[in-house]
Amino acid sequence: MDRFVFFGGKGGVGKTTVSSAYAHKCAGAGLDTLLVSTDPAHSTADVFDQSFDDDPTPVDGYDSLEVMEIDPEEAVDEHLMGIKRQLGDQVSPAIVNEIDRQIELAHQTPGAHEAALFDRFIDVMRESDHDRVVFDTSPTGGTLRLLSLPEYLGGWIDRLLSKREASVDLYEKSAIGGREPRRTAVGDPIIARLRERKENFEFAGRTLREEATFYLVANPDELSIRETRRSVASLAERDLPVAGLVVNRLTPEPESHEEGRGARFLRDRVATERERVRELEETFDPPVVATIETRVAEVKGDLLDEVARELDIAVDLPA
Amino acid sequence: MDLSDRIAAFRETVEEWLRGIYHGMISHPAYELIEKEAEDQEDAFLLACFPDAFGIPSPVSYYTAELLPYLGAEFEQWERRMWDRGSVLERKGSQYHF
Repeated sequence: MDRFVFFGGKGGVGKTTVSSAYAHKCAGAGLDTLLVSTDPAHSTADVFDQSFDDDPTPVDGYDSLEVMEIDPEEAVDEHLMGIKRQLGDQVSPAIVNEIDRQIELAHQTPGAHEAALFDRFIDVMRESDHDRVVFDTSPTGGTLRLLSLPEYLGGWIDRLLSKREASVDLYEKSAIGGREPRRTAVGDPIIARLRERKENFEFAGRTLREEATFYLVANPDELSIRETRRSVASLAERDLPVAGLVVNRLTPEPESHEEGRGARFLRDRVATERERVRELEETFDPPVVATIETRVAEVKGDLLDEVARELDIAVDLPA
Repeated sequence: MDLSDRIAAFRETVEEWLRGIYHGMISHPAYELIEKEAEDQEDAFLLACFPDAFGIPSPVSYYTAELLPYLGAEFEQWERRMWDRGSVLERKGSQYHF
């Protein structure tokens, strides 16, 4: 069992519920657990009836469960401030304004939030000393993009790095005869910075491939199943196999003696859902590890424990 | 001053001239050529870093922005080079001293 466990899936299928239940289960088994919510619309606070922030906060009533909610907005702002501070130290005041504008612009691009989120992801993976880190991810599209970032950005950084090295190398060559080269490779802050970034991406790629397990949450309906099918395929494409499917929101079956409009409706609904679950079991490679029935109330408190018991996902310590 | 001294002085002058001519015609343009090429590479690097300066959105501008503090002077030179370059021919042509 890997140290990092991701729960993904279409929006609204109950990823937060399932990942909270899983974190609850891990904590119950005595593992030091951290639940990380990466969905910008955090809802872990509602499950545990407690507010969380960007730092791991212990959950009331648990010995070994902490929750953190990543806030990309804050990460973007921090990044911006960090650069501006450095700018003041490095650059002559004459051009600061010009560059300031460029930096502001870079932090408004659509990729900025994703990049910030991704950086926080890496921080968490690098720094946490928990036995198990559970990620409650944002809906499928966003997460998939996020997970493909290491490879994609790694390639880009490679290109930048080789260009920079080529130009610095040429500057050094043009300085033959004891002249001072305009730039040198030794101590070039740009090359150092790019290498550092590259190393970061490689770490993320390696960790995701070797130490992470992915579960997808689906509902027993056509749309959710289709999206799950696409997710399984694209994750496999990136060498990130899905370990199992969790089917959430199954309709409870009425007692056999009940005969009424409600009971008939439920019986029909249950039959359809059985069909869907069978489809999931038969046509999908990853096994269905849990089927969770719809609850009357929101899953929180004691109900979380019930749901956790329905999850057939091992929680043993990593070897 | 005897003859050998005058010859030595003459040879020194000739050598200096030759060195100057060699420097002016061969070695200096060679340095310049390499330096221009380095500048071209740097332009490509900066363009890859900051395509949004030309209105092309960049997926990594969030990361390249953190290079800006170190690129202050280069950024300025780069912008100047980009604006006063009429054509590739003009840029490449200026490397030869016709």
